[in-house]
Amino acid sequence: MNSIEVSHLKKNFFVFQKEPGVLGSFKSVFSRRYKEIKAVRDASFTIKEGELIGFIGPNGAGKTTTLKCLSGLLYPDTGQVSVLGFRPFERKPEFQKQFALVMGQKNQLWWDLPPMETFLLNKEIYGVPQQQFKKTLDELVEILEVKDILKNQVRKLSLGQRMKCELIAALLHSPKVLFLDEPTIGMDVIMQKKIRDFIKEYNLRYKATIILTSHYMGDVKELCQRIIIIDKGRLVFDGQLNKIIKRYAEHKILSVILSKKIDQEKLSIFGQLTDYNFPEVKFIIDKKKIAEASGRILSTLPVVDINIEEPPIEEIIRDLFTNKNYQ
Amino acid sequence: MKKYLQLANLTFQDYFVYRLNFYLWRFRSFITFLTLLFFWLAIYGNQESFLGYQKSQMITYVVGVAFLRTIIFGTRSTDLAPQIRSGSLIKLLLKPIKVFKYFFTQDIVDKLLNFLFAGFEIGLVLFILNFSLYFPQNITTYFFFFVLVSLAIVLLFFISMTLSIISFWTEEIWAARFLFMVIFMEFLAGTYFPLDILPSWLTKIIYLTPSPYLIFFPMKIWLEQLSAEEILKAILICFIWLLFFWWLSFFLWKKGSRSYSAYGD
Repeated sequence: MNSIEVSHLKKNFFVFQKEPGVLGSFKSVFSRRYKEIKAVRDASFTIKEGELIGFIGPNGAGKTTTLKCLSGLLYPDTGQVSVLGFRPFERKPEFQKQFALVMGQKNQLWWDLPPMETFLLNKEIYGVPQQQFKKTLDELVEILEVKDILKNQVRKLSLGQRMKCELIAALLHSPKVLFLDEPTIGMDVIMQKKIRDFIKEYNLRYKATIILTSHYMGDVKELCQRIIIIDKGRLVFDGQLNKIIKRYAEHKILSVILSKKIDQEKLSIFGQLTDYNFPEVKFIIDKKKIAEASGRILSTLPVVDINIEEPPIEEIIRDLFTNKNYQ
Repeated sequence: MKKYLQLANLTFQDYFVYRLNFYLWRFRSFITFLTLLFFWLAIYGNQESFLGYQKSQMITYVVGVAFLRTIIFGTRSTDLAPQIRSGSLIKLLLKPIKVFKYFFTQDIVDKLLNFLFAGFEIGLVLFILNFSLYFPQNITTYFFFFVLVSLAIVLLFFISMTLSIISFWTEEIWAARFLFMVIFMEFLAGTYFPLDILPSWLTKIIYLTPSPYLIFFPMKIWLEQLSAEEILKAILICFIWLLFFWWLSFFLWKKGSRSYSAYGD
């Protein structure tokens, strides 16, 4: 069953352009220039119930705009959006009770009160029964280790602590669909790991459909099997994470352990040398030439061990975003 | 319903965080009240009657204005405008909660707190200066007063919401709000003087606007200076304005929240 269906989604914005400085401000009082920004152009995809999708793209690619259309904050210019069978923009309470959007850079907690107060308010807003509320809260508080800070004023919390409380506030009503926009922002590595484990666990336990955007490839790599890449408002890739490597990796990394020291110059004739730290040497070699190159290396160099690897996913995606070479 | 009670609870707690803000606001209202009171006392001097008002009636008017200002003009719906601008409105739009009811709940809390404090301050002044106030003889007067004040509270809420909702289209609403609310609405509501001391051609025009029904007419009812017919007419006009702004605010809200691009990130 599909939780989310998007077909031919388009969304444009008109953004007011101001020249810098006071003079620019003064001019803008009399005449304003607007620039049309095509935030999302013709995006189509479906997501099944219980899937955990990574949604990635460079800054300004249209990730957040798409999420906002899915959560009913923005009205699509054209195209159809359906989440759990609802049209998000109608903002029906039955829909809103089954979904949550967590934005790393936005807070929904009451700034001057302890987080517990927001939790209690959300309990009433979403109509969560007392017993379920207590059970969910206890669980979340334990996993995220926030027991000690529940009575502190929100504005006195650190970014990481606040983010955890944001997550709790968003999950108290056990949403079936969850949009996470940069959920691990501002967290240390240990906590990032914990949040990842938690998201995975939540996904499995509640069969929740989750869309995750993150600038940390680590989040995506560990959590998502399927990813959607968007750039300049267009979907450029939709598929399994390992297919990205197959499709876009143009090179392989060949590392060799040598038995005796060889001149760097002599080594560089075999391929592009990236790292030489005797006894280990690393080459970047074109995918198509890998067999030939490794044969030559094995027959000419004093090799103890040889290893061929795919380049790290971070690198592939970085190259993809830089060169915009989507096929 | 329970969600709005819980919201009221949080709003109440929030006021105690910003105690200083609240006290300063009360202080401002108190000074305004004293200024107006002593201004009118100075005008009366030794006279008992001026411009058709007995001294005790005028004092009652000034005290009444201080009270009504507090519970009618005090509103939290002004907070909507900055929330639209900053994008933090989205946290309300995503939840199964009605934005109008959300702000109205906060309004009620605001009005209750202000009413308690104003009661204490004004009571203190009356006690020290030992004034006698005019209290209606007729029990129905209290009823009509209550009806018109309730309508006025709701009317002001929708006017203020309308002004805030304009933020969907304009970058800055503060100046327009100041001009409209303080200069136009408060002045024409009769917060500085009873409107019927103005020339009658002018009052006829003012009575067509929503302003006088917020403060002036409730006070006229209290002072029992209106006939039954005039009272009903005032309630009717107030009600028509209420319907108009109720419609306008919802209409603009629907349009605005649809074109809202939820900026801020």
